[in-house]
Amino acid sequence: MRIASTQYSATMNHALQLASGHMADLMQQMATGQRILRPSDEPVTSVRLARLEREDAALSQYRDNIGALRTRLTKNEALMDGMVKDMQQARDLLVWASDNGGNSNPDVAAMADSLAALRDSLYYSVNSRDDEGHYLFSGTASNQATVSFNAAAAAGSRYAFGGNTSPQLVMVGNGVTQAANVSLDDMATLLNQLDSTIAVLQAPGLDILNPATQASIKGSLDQVDSSLSVVAAKIAQQGGAQNTLQTLDDSHANVSLSNQQAALTLGQLDYGKAAVELNGYTTAVQATQKVYGRVSQLSLFDAL
Amino acid sequence: MSMINIALSGAVASQAALNASSQNIANVMTPGYTRQGVLLTAQQPLMSGAVTAGSGVQVTSLLRFADSYKSQQLWAANSQLGAHDTMQPYLTQLEQVMNSSTASINVGLDGFFRALNAASVDPSSSPLRQQVLTSAGALAQSFNSLSQVLVNQRTAVDAQRGSMVTQINSLSSAVAKLNQEITAAQARGINASGLIDQRDLSIDELAKLAGIQVMDQPNGARNVALLSGPPLVADGLAATLAVQGTASGAQVLTLQFAKESFTLSDAQMGGQLGGLGQMEQQVLVPLQQSLTDMAAGVAGGVNAQLAAGFTPAGAAGGALFSFTPGSSSPLAVVAGLQAQDLAFSGNAGTPGDSSNLLQIIGLRGQALSISGLGSVTLGDAYTQLLGRLGTQSQQNQTALTTAQTVRTQAEESWKSTSGVSQDEEATNLVQYQQMYQANMKVIAVANQLFDSTMAMMS
Repeated sequence: MRIASTQYSATMNHALQLASGHMADLMQQMATGQRILRPSDEPVTSVRLARLEREDAALSQYRDNIGALRTRLTKNEALMDGMVKDMQQARDLLVWASDNGGNSNPDVAAMADSLAALRDSLYYSVNSRDDEGHYLFSGTASNQATVSFNAAAAAGSRYAFGGNTSPQLVMVGNGVTQAANVSLDDMATLLNQLDSTIAVLQAPGLDILNPATQASIKGSLDQVDSSLSVVAAKIAQQGGAQNTLQTLDDSHANVSLSNQQAALTLGQLDYGKAAVELNGYTTAVQATQKVYGRVSQLSLFDAL
Repeated sequence: MSMINIALSGAVASQAALNASSQNIANVMTPGYTRQGVLLTAQQPLMSGAVTAGSGVQVTSLLRFADSYKSQQLWAANSQLGAHDTMQPYLTQLEQVMNSSTASINVGLDGFFRALNAASVDPSSSPLRQQVLTSAGALAQSFNSLSQVLVNQRTAVDAQRGSMVTQINSLSSAVAKLNQEITAAQARGINASGLIDQRDLSIDELAKLAGIQVMDQPNGARNVALLSGPPLVADGLAATLAVQGTASGAQVLTLQFAKESFTLSDAQMGGQLGGLGQMEQQVLVPLQQSLTDMAAGVAGGVNAQLAAGFTPAGAAGGALFSFTPGSSSPLAVVAGLQAQDLAFSGNAGTPGDSSNLLQIIGLRGQALSISGLGSVTLGDAYTQLLGRLGTQSQQNQTALTTAQTVRTQAEESWKSTSGVSQDEEATNLVQYQQMYQANMKVIAVANQLFDSTMAMMS
């Protein structure tokens, strides 16, 4: 084939441009550590990478939710633990009061004051609120007091449950929810029962031996026992939920890790390979330059 | 006497050849220059006779080393190259914007759903609700930025098309004018090689802008027609291309030739104009439509679900997003919306309930009908759009590389015929110089012979 004089420089330019383009891409790849610089480098892989990123974003949010939820469950547990202590103290007092042989009437009347203090403590605990004023134990009716107090009503019916028993569900996985709240719906019954017993014990002319008085104390004792077991069961539920959440969190962490590893495998640059390629292009450019230098020195005009 | 004349014809011929070589050497770097040479023919003897060798040499014509087939290849390759070359910057910009780790809609959607998920921990919490509002604003912003990029690209396409049409018109009239000059020069027997080179360069520029067919005419003119048929240049007449805006915002190309008018289809234009048409019709318009569908899906889905719920105060839920297609910021958070207006509860009077919120979170996995993609989930739609754009860009890059290679080869092939080789010209110079010197020697010998004859006479 006949070669025109300008062909050499055209070939030289072409080779240089081609190598420069490849080297610029390699440099950018090396600077970012990313094998894929734009989706068009590998459309299918970049779609897979994007999906891994989406899943990882969701997983990290689920894990954040689990963290917040566990704090909330721990708080629930601590508050209920306090109530259990109050109820146990009330139970001790009631057991003592029911010992009809050993207590004088004034002793029992004095005991009623302690019982009233425990009742009020339980009342405040059950109406615990968070920083924004939402009631913790009212179910989803978090703007309603869990137990309301009506001073005008007769003792024994002054307390009423104001919330509901619906769970407040938190997203902890894809389609997986966990209740964040506990509804203390039977605390009103306990408070009413205690309240009526306290009224009986505080009434003037208290007769501890009166079967009606004994029946009231017995009723409160039974209710405290039943409420204790209900609250204890709810505390146990919180513990169980904590374990479930821990397992779920671990599983999210594992999936997230494997996603990240997959993303690295798919998207990370193999520096060794890139360095070898860079060397290849450098050599090609150097060789082309040398050849051009030699060829351009050849001119018949020099010989004339 | 004939000896001197023969030698003179040789000296004149070698001078013509030396001139041609000088011209070639002078134009070694001139783009599009076609090398020339002399066509030498032996002259028949003037007087008959068995022992008369001939009457010397004649420069029959100046040869133009051109192969019109190779020129045609060069032009066809330039059209292909132009089409793909014009599309690539647009595609690359789109890819970079759409794949950006901060501005992509995927990031916006992630942020929005993260905020919703976080709100499920405590649906009545003001800071968590505020976070939902903020991230909804960021999501709307990511939609709007991309739609603005698309609008800007379409504006750029329109502007580029306008300037290309102007270029095509000026090139067409240049070709028509050169046609006239070449025809006139050839009729008068003048060497038109330089003019032909100029015309071929103009045709090459034209081919880059639009796909063309070139037909040689017997009178030396070259007629140029668009790929779809309408004439661009016929002899000394050039057509006028015009671009008109329509009510829908799309541009229409029309061609006026003499008294005839043609409406042209963008997609059939080829060259850079065709590339622009393809970019607009196959990438930008579908992408705009898909994005509009997606934004409408997000706004519609979220708003409908919110309307089914209740605010912490127990009021029925209102819309979060407002969607006005065609405006400069199509997606926006409803003005004046407060964090406490978000209807996350499934029942009036239960502010702690998250059942409606969970329904909104579930929208991410809900199928959405997006034009060009069909039924896809909201969370995956943008990834698929990005994948489609990546594939389009990859195809164009592959086609661009091929077109580049074809063009390079066509250039090489053209140069191999028409390009100047300095070494070749150097040998020509030496040879024709020797030819000139030899002919001069012949004249000297003839002179000596004449002198000898004269000496005999005296």
